[in-house]
Amino acid sequence: MFNFFKGLAAAAAALTLAACGSSTSTSAISTSTARGTLAVDPPLRIASLNAATFAAELGATTTGAELLALTSAPVCGVDFYYVKFWTVGGANETTESSGALMVPTGAAPTCSGPRPIVLYAHGTDTNQATNIADITNTGNTEGALIAAAFAAQGYIVVAPNYAGYDISTLGYHPYLNAVQNADEMTDILTAARTALPRTLSAATSDNGKLFITGYSEGGYVAMATQRALEAAGKTVTAAAPMSGPYALEAFGDTIFFGGVDLGSTVFSPLLTTSYQHAYGNIYTATTDVFSTQYANGIATLLPSATPIDTIFSEGLLPETALFDSATPTVTIPNDPTQSAELTAALAVPNNPASPFTPLFQLGFGTSYLINNDYRVSYAINAATFVDLAGPLAPSGSPPTLAAIPSAIPSPSLAPAFYLRQAFNTNDLRNPAWAPSAPTLLCGGDADPTVFFSVNTGTMKAFWSDLPAGLVTVLDINGTPGTPLPAFAPLQVAFQASQTALLAYYQSAAGGSLSLAAAEAAVVQGTHTAEAPFCTVAARSFFSQF
Amino acid sequence: MTLLNLRTLSVSLALIVASLGAASSAIADEAVPNDFRLGSYTVFYRASADDLSGPFVPSGVNFHTDNIETLYVGYVRRLSAHFSAELALGYPPLTKTYGVGPATLGSVPYSGQEISTARWLAPTGFLEYNFFAENAVLRPFIGIGVNYTNFYDRRSTAAGDAGSGGPTKIELPASFGPAVTVGLAYQIAPRWHAYASYSASKVNTRLTSITGGVERTSHLEFNPQALVVSLGYAF
Repeated sequence: MFNFFKGLAAAAAALTLAACGSSTSTSAISTSTARGTLAVDPPLRIASLNAATFAAELGATTTGAELLALTSAPVCGVDFYYVKFWTVGGANETTESSGALMVPTGAAPTCSGPRPIVLYAHGTDTNQATNIADITNTGNTEGALIAAAFAAQGYIVVAPNYAGYDISTLGYHPYLNAVQNADEMTDILTAARTALPRTLSAATSDNGKLFITGYSEGGYVAMATQRALEAAGKTVTAAAPMSGPYALEAFGDTIFFGGVDLGSTVFSPLLTTSYQHAYGNIYTATTDVFSTQYANGIATLLPSATPIDTIFSEGLLPETALFDSATPTVTIPNDPTQSAELTAALAVPNNPASPFTPLFQLGFGTSYLINNDYRVSYAINAATFVDLAGPLAPSGSPPTLAAIPSAIPSPSLAPAFYLRQAFNTNDLRNPAWAPSAPTLLCGGDADPTVFFSVNTGTMKAFWSDLPAGLVTVLDINGTPGTPLPAFAPLQVAFQASQTALLAYYQSAAGGSLSLAAAEAAVVQGTHTAEAPFCTVAARSFFSQF
Repeated sequence: MTLLNLRTLSVSLALIVASLGAASSAIADEAVPNDFRLGSYTVFYRASADDLSGPFVPSGVNFHTDNIETLYVGYVRRLSAHFSAELALGYPPLTKTYGVGPATLGSVPYSGQEISTARWLAPTGFLEYNFFAENAVLRPFIGIGVNYTNFYDRRSTAAGDAGSGGPTKIELPASFGPAVTVGLAYQIAPRWHAYASYSASKVNTRLTSITGGVERTSHLEFNPQALVVSLGYAF
């Protein structure tokens, strides 16, 4: 038997040697959690599409084909990388986040070598799993838009998913938190610049030019980022914040005085949760803010893995009713006149001359989100510490309990009411600043979600003394050719698309809606519909630099 | 090592063993306990794999493994007139895996691409029953046993990395499974036999590919069948 065991021993020795054989390496996982650290190096390439394949895949759907017609056919292929990086949350807590690095590829001269970076911030998303890098997900329309508009035209695109989304374990999203938003954008930019030379697309490199843009929430994030980078002395070549809630305090005042925007029941819990984490003072219990019907669980409701329509249908949030349709009574001690004026200012809007009235009225109901006491307190605070931009009040300006606003629309001074104070803290007029890089503010005056005049209009007025040409405001729904002839085709195309949509909704295929119902349907989609037109306007603007 | 080299090596080793055998042919013809065998090992994979699953993997991504031929080394211990134990080993072959499924992943070629390679060491132990008398010219045998397969030198190729989305680590845990064999021994000389056998074994493993911190997995069944043709010397 001796030989038998010797044979086995030899086999065992061979096995031991074999087990030492190595397998190939994969990405390194960073041990550092310092801000801007690339967490997985190199990042995963989710997909690599050449220009023809990208064009074919987009062209396969109606919306994709429309997008291609607007953005032009891809010149470059696009490699989509999934970047994981370290950043901070709303209370400056260390956290991991993720996002996209889209790299142009291909033989055309504008597709490789040194290329400019577009740092992009996406709009409000209720889906916790959102991943803008995942071009394989057909629901990722914003990812497809920026890939087609920028990456396929030779721009390197960097775009975070935001803390609170995708792989993030933060547990909430620092929504409209100017400091965190700018920090996270800066951190993914740092991580993406680290990653780029280590990717499979290293033939494309950073030429040092930085363009910043984003839509809706992302418009706000883009502007906050521009402000922070310019304050830090970093290069910003040009910026194009789009349809963002920049003048947050004035916008909040507008909403609380009855100018309720479409989407407000979704934005409200995102805001209170964000500011509760950042400042800890928004409420002691969620019932301080929200009606008892909705208060339970609302602090962790959004973003969610559950589709927003399900959240509505399950009764976890009202679809549009932000406030009580029965007007609360305001009582200011010893001042019946102002009490009556403020009460009147909180009534359901009914101005027949305003095209927004039907929209505003959707913001009121019997199953409403914000409780009356909270709304009244906010209104008194807003009337005491006046935002000089003034709210876009549905029925004229609400009464003020303090000085009449001066001509310069500045935010109020430190309102003591904490939610409003958070709006004030995160209002992009506060602290006062002005862009030093050329800036385009694109939006549309029919936007029912992020009102144009109270946000973009307020910033325009705030910066009215800047040198001509530094800040350009483009109303995509405005007179074609104003302010610049170069944007006329986009304005014409947007307005034609809205007209076509109105006709569609009235047709049999679109549901044979009445004119009024069709108009309402068009308005409801306007905020989203503007996005690709403003995005192409931003690219056109960037191409000058 | 190319196949040609392997064959050359196998023939050379057989000749060395043969000359050693000639030198000791004077030894009396009696039942000897040890039998050393050398030959060729042709492995037919009957591999099946579940489609690769994991983040960002389109449906229908699969692969197949090429059949290989390598050097067979066996040691057989006589236990009794009819029973013997065999330890079968092959020179660890380089097994190539090719993409099956979509022609491209995005714009990256996939189907038909050599996406990974691995070597494996797969010692198989058999308990064999040999028919007829020990001095019969032809002795059929059957056996059952256990196969242990250890995969190593697992590499994703450049094409594999491109399809996966970056540098990729492949994990293939070792597999234990049953094996059966059937064969025939032909006595050339008192101590020299030629053998032909056909074996089948069950090799199951779970492939995990790790790219950019993302894991994709597939359950794999190789279930190889092997034809062994060898020359053995008993001593």
